[in-house]
Amino acid sequence: MKIELKLFGAFREFDPAPHIVLEVAEGAKVADLRRAVLDYATSRWPAFRPGLLAGSAFASDTEVLRDDAVLPVDGRMAVLPPVSGG
Amino acid sequence: MDDGKDRVRLSVLDVSQAKLDPADALAFVSDPGFGGLSMFVGKVRDLNHGRDVLGVSYDMFDSLALTVFRQAAAEAFAGCGPKLKVYVAHAKGRLAVGDVAVVVAAGSPHRDEAFRACRAVIEAVKHRAPIWKQEHYRDGDSVWSEGCSLCVPADGHDGQGH
Repeated sequence: MKIELKLFGAFREFDPAPHIVLEVAEGAKVADLRRAVLDYATSRWPAFRPGLLAGSAFASDTEVLRDDAVLPVDGRMAVLPPVSGG
Repeated sequence: MDDGKDRVRLSVLDVSQAKLDPADALAFVSDPGFGGLSMFVGKVRDLNHGRDVLGVSYDMFDSLALTVFRQAAAEAFAGCGPKLKVYVAHAKGRLAVGDVAVVVAAGSPHRDEAFRACRAVIEAVKHRAPIWKQEHYRDGDSVWSEGCSLCVPADGHDGQGH
């Protein structure tokens, strides 16, 4: 299945587009998406640091999802680096 | 949970369209039965980690941020309510030093509930809302701030960095 992954904060530095598209297996979990992002980032983003991804969470359009959660069927996800609002 | 429109106002303001207004927050949380209003106003500071700051840019996942604001308000009602009004507004876009980045206000019959609700809500906004700050320095460099991880470990407890 295709995942449209929105980029925020420090991740915006790596790609001019607001999201990237990744392919994962049907029924894949957040942990699988995390590995797919790591593969994508290490091969395409020279300035990428794995530590940024390790500290980042993943969310659907409505909630932060744990690594063992199944990805939503609509394929709409976001990667959330550590937050710094206020 | 009371999150009726007359008791909670939550907003994200694009600073190219509108400025945050603390007076609007105080007006909203006012009520004839409320003797205590508490407000936090967060502004852009000119120095961070020893570097001269000219401004900051806020990036935000708007819909999820508003969901977190709503949850924070609901928690305030559960912990400090039910006689309470809560206001949250956060800026999005580029701000200069001295500009208002966030306004949180709470009103209640007495000061204790107002102070506690305001503090709880601003802490949730800072630690749990999907908002990111990029600082722009006088030397021309720009850096995304180190922040609080939203990762949820396998045991299900929030993994908040600070």
